[in-house]
Amino acid sequence: MVKKARNIRKVLIANRGEIALRILRTVKELGMGAIAVYEKPDSEAYYIRAADEAILIGDGPRRDYLDVEKIIWAAHKGDADAIHPGYGFLSENPDLSAECERAGLIFVGPPPHVIRNLGNKVMAREIAKKAKCPSIAGTEDLAQGEEGIEQSIAFGKQHGYPLMLKASAGGGGRGIRKIQNREELIEQLPMARSEALSAFGNDNVYIEKMIENPRHVEIQILADQHGHIFHLGSRDCSIQRRHQKILEIAPADLPAVVLNAMYKCAIETAKAAGYINAGTVEFLVDPKTHNFWFMEMNTRLQVEHTVTEELTGVDIVRAQIRIAEGYPLNIPKERVRLLGKAIQVRINAEDPKNNFMPEGGKQVEVYRSPGGLGVRLDGAVYQGYTIPTDYDSLMVKMTIRGYNWEQTLQRLKRSLNDFLIVGPKTTIPFYRAICEEHDFKAGKFDTSYIETHPEIFAYSEEEREVAKLSRLIAEIHAKKTNPYAY
Amino acid sequence: MKHKKTRNVPEERITPKELREKGVSSILDKIRRVKGYYLTNTERDLSQSDFKNRIMPHTQLLVAKQRNEAGYFSIEISGGASVHVDLLRCQINPLEKLQVLSSDMPDTLFQNLCRGVNLFGYRPYPENVVRLTVRSFAPYIHVWRVFDFLNYVPNMIPVLEEVKAAGCILEPSICFSTGPEHTDEYYVKKVGEILRVTGSEVILCIKNHSGLGTPKRIGNLVKSIMRGYPELIIHYHGHNTDGADVGRIVEAVRNGAKIVDAADHAFVGFYGPPPILTVVDILEDYGFKAVSLNRQAVIDTSNELRTQREYYKDFESQFLGFDPTVQTHKLPGGAMGSSFEQAVKGGFLHRMPEILQNELPRVQVELGNWWSVTPGSQILWTTAVNNLLKNARYKEVSDDLKNLMLGKYGDFPFYRPADEIYRTVFGPAWKHILSRDGGCQKIENIDLEIEKKVLERHLGRQATQDELVLYLQHPNDVVRFFKFEKKYGKTWVLPPNIWFKRGGFNLGDKFEFTDAFGKQHSLEIGHQRKTKTGDAVTYIVVDHNPEPVLTELEQEGEQIRRRVVLTQKELESLAKSGDIRSPLAGTVSEIPIAEGNEVSAGQILIVLEAMKMLNKVVSEINGKVTEILVSPGDKIDVGDPLILIKKD
Repeated sequence: MVKKARNIRKVLIANRGEIALRILRTVKELGMGAIAVYEKPDSEAYYIRAADEAILIGDGPRRDYLDVEKIIWAAHKGDADAIHPGYGFLSENPDLSAECERAGLIFVGPPPHVIRNLGNKVMAREIAKKAKCPSIAGTEDLAQGEEGIEQSIAFGKQHGYPLMLKASAGGGGRGIRKIQNREELIEQLPMARSEALSAFGNDNVYIEKMIENPRHVEIQILADQHGHIFHLGSRDCSIQRRHQKILEIAPADLPAVVLNAMYKCAIETAKAAGYINAGTVEFLVDPKTHNFWFMEMNTRLQVEHTVTEELTGVDIVRAQIRIAEGYPLNIPKERVRLLGKAIQVRINAEDPKNNFMPEGGKQVEVYRSPGGLGVRLDGAVYQGYTIPTDYDSLMVKMTIRGYNWEQTLQRLKRSLNDFLIVGPKTTIPFYRAICEEHDFKAGKFDTSYIETHPEIFAYSEEEREVAKLSRLIAEIHAKKTNPYAY
Repeated sequence: MKHKKTRNVPEERITPKELREKGVSSILDKIRRVKGYYLTNTERDLSQSDFKNRIMPHTQLLVAKQRNEAGYFSIEISGGASVHVDLLRCQINPLEKLQVLSSDMPDTLFQNLCRGVNLFGYRPYPENVVRLTVRSFAPYIHVWRVFDFLNYVPNMIPVLEEVKAAGCILEPSICFSTGPEHTDEYYVKKVGEILRVTGSEVILCIKNHSGLGTPKRIGNLVKSIMRGYPELIIHYHGHNTDGADVGRIVEAVRNGAKIVDAADHAFVGFYGPPPILTVVDILEDYGFKAVSLNRQAVIDTSNELRTQREYYKDFESQFLGFDPTVQTHKLPGGAMGSSFEQAVKGGFLHRMPEILQNELPRVQVELGNWWSVTPGSQILWTTAVNNLLKNARYKEVSDDLKNLMLGKYGDFPFYRPADEIYRTVFGPAWKHILSRDGGCQKIENIDLEIEKKVLERHLGRQATQDELVLYLQHPNDVVRFFKFEKKYGKTWVLPPNIWFKRGGFNLGDKFEFTDAFGKQHSLEIGHQRKTKTGDAVTYIVVDHNPEPVLTELEQEGEQIRRRVVLTQKELESLAKSGDIRSPLAGTVSEIPIAEGNEVSAGQILIVLEAMKMLNKVVSEINGKVTEILVSPGDKIDVGDPLILIKKD
């Protein structure tokens, strides 16, 4: 299995937006060439300018970034010898990994069979079980038709409601339904199937016992091609809206004994899966008993990898590339620090008060970002940037590090206050409100946090006083008189 | 409210702290005992009479320290028309202005001018509104000068009671004028009438709003009152329209007045108060000392103010110079500038000599020779102008004159207008109308909770008690002001060279200022470009970062459409076809109809306000209202389309 290390000269980044820029930065630091790809609507994107070379792969939107053939074509055209998939798009599609192998390109990620096995939720649970990792009671993929319904009713009878009905090929919080009773189960099963088919191209579904209001905690794993596997600690991603993470914290606030057990589970699961490269093992944790269950393993770089980097000092993308080249991991354990706290907030162009409606099409008129100790920004926005209507609304991720929870929160609040974005509505005032909220300040939150704290939506969106005065001065200038004075 | 540390002040000086701690009686005793007289700096009346009320808070703040050190009895800084103009043109909340100024002038009593039942407006308010308003202003206003334009004491009672209850110094006024009825005996009797209501713990103001009478006349009046009420403290207030107010002030003091009004010499004009130091020097020669006055602080104030006067040029009267004929036309100083402005806007400036020297004095005598002061001065003025311009006397008079003639605003002090005038105004059935509708109007209290809800609906948020009080004064203008403030912020921090700028700024012009919340800013004017829709985007370097700022511009076509000049005849013929145009330049006050309503000839369609008077526009035809093109609060010009009616 162990190959001889092969140095990468040029990396094609098969992604867009902030993560393309994030990967580009490390690629450049390693002295490698960086190739960006883009669909036409991204022609004005910032990451393109940061790359050594940018290749247009089609008119898009969200079609060409998902086209394995085009990505391989672009890699050849740009003379790349490696492809980094980032997150989303093709990152968890085993075909890209497989096509890379076939084309003699290095895929910065796990081998295709690992992606495939862990991508199937039922198989993933089997792997975890093999690794002696507690997992939530669940079924295999349900049989089609009546048999599947009977199977699930029997499961409900044995384990009790509520249950989760999940699409086997789903992920990222999509394709999940909560089932309260037998009647709902019968009613929803066919609907879930047809929805899974149209969303993921696969109508397999399965059932799990539902853990009510759990915490969502994950372990970052690095595994090289030489059999070394270790973890970079935990992240608490409990604060979610509609199963979408918006704010992540490292490390999770759990007793050491619980965390150690989770590390062990995560490493054993990765081992059982034959895992290579960076990955994340996700767990549900009961907030009271601290019992935990394996949920799934993500075979890619996570959006929230930044908090782990800030906490540990390890550049995960650099590690990914070194692993892909075939080098053994040589990060000395004593160099990996797990001190302090890091928080990442996703600053999206959205209106939280209007159901987080994206502000696509709006222009960023003013963009001023904060700085100072412990403030990291991964963004793709600039003054004059137009929020895309075709892609997601993430503008910039702000990662804050501090010595402890209190200091980190104070720094987060200060940095949010120093952030100035005029044009689209953003999630900034919403995060400010969270910073002021009692339970959050006390570190008490689980996945029900946002729905159980409606007061965090009652923030004010007062404009800066100087912006108002500027409006008047501009008007006196443009109208050549002050219509409000004469 | 934050009070800055109080300095050591001379013993004769009266401060808000002393008023708070010792109460009104102790202050009044101190004034009675003191040798000499006190000065009130009448900044409000100076601003109103000579600068159309536009002196901005920025300028007031610039000299707040010097004025505070000057040791005045009080500074008159609110009331009169200023409350309305603050909201309308200075774009400041009049209560916030007082709060801001008082924190910079902690040792000086603030004074205002209150029009009794008319408060700071032009017609009577319900009693509960009057009382609520006094309560909102009382925390900032230590001395309340209260008057009624008919010297009708019952009109002042609710204000007098509330001021006393709030622990403020009460200064009821007798309005002064000249003519055969205006004898010393009359005024001494009037003083008695007031004191019977207020008790003796008040200051009495002689309110000579037009600056009438000779120094000798004023001296005699003061002497007569002092003879009747030797313990009474008299505060003389005058105007310098004829250039002789210094003489009147001197005689008032020589005969016993204890407080007199004057203003900072760097801003003194022609129709407001005369300069402080001139008064002080002359009286000193007569052996009367200006108590607690810091002469150098008065000079320092004017040295600072001189640099600012140029920014206010546009608001000085169209006619500059003293006007000794005021003794005939009796226009109050506070209305001189605005009258000439209206004459210019209305295109009748050339007829001013006729109005001032013939028609206005004639109307005054015909209508009862009462006092030409708000709102009476507006009634007299509007009537005289209409009489002359329409070339028909007392035709289509304002509702305010009708109400006045029906006695709704109070009793005529001397005599009522002649029967012929009643006949012209009310028609042949005038006697019936007079006996049916005549008599002092009792205005029903309004439901304050409902008013508050209406205001909150306008604002889209909760309203405070103070905001409600302002809303009750001038509903349309206050709602518009709050919307302005939400959009443009607290603009009173801006200096007058920005606020009054004409012709645009220069590229690279840079301004530094502190906002109302204490943050320092620098703004630099950058390039400007036009958008596709014809609006303007100005790049302003805000605190070192360029920001595009959008200004929506009225398109040229729209402007041209508005500027159609129509004659009175054309307006009438359009009205007969159902196209209702504005007959005047002013503001839409009220629209009692709605789209889709059936209207009949003679029905009121819209009420317009101009020259502070309400004017009804009635339908010439029967028909159905198809469109209403304006809303209350809109500014309108002569010929602007208002309402469309489809003829039956």
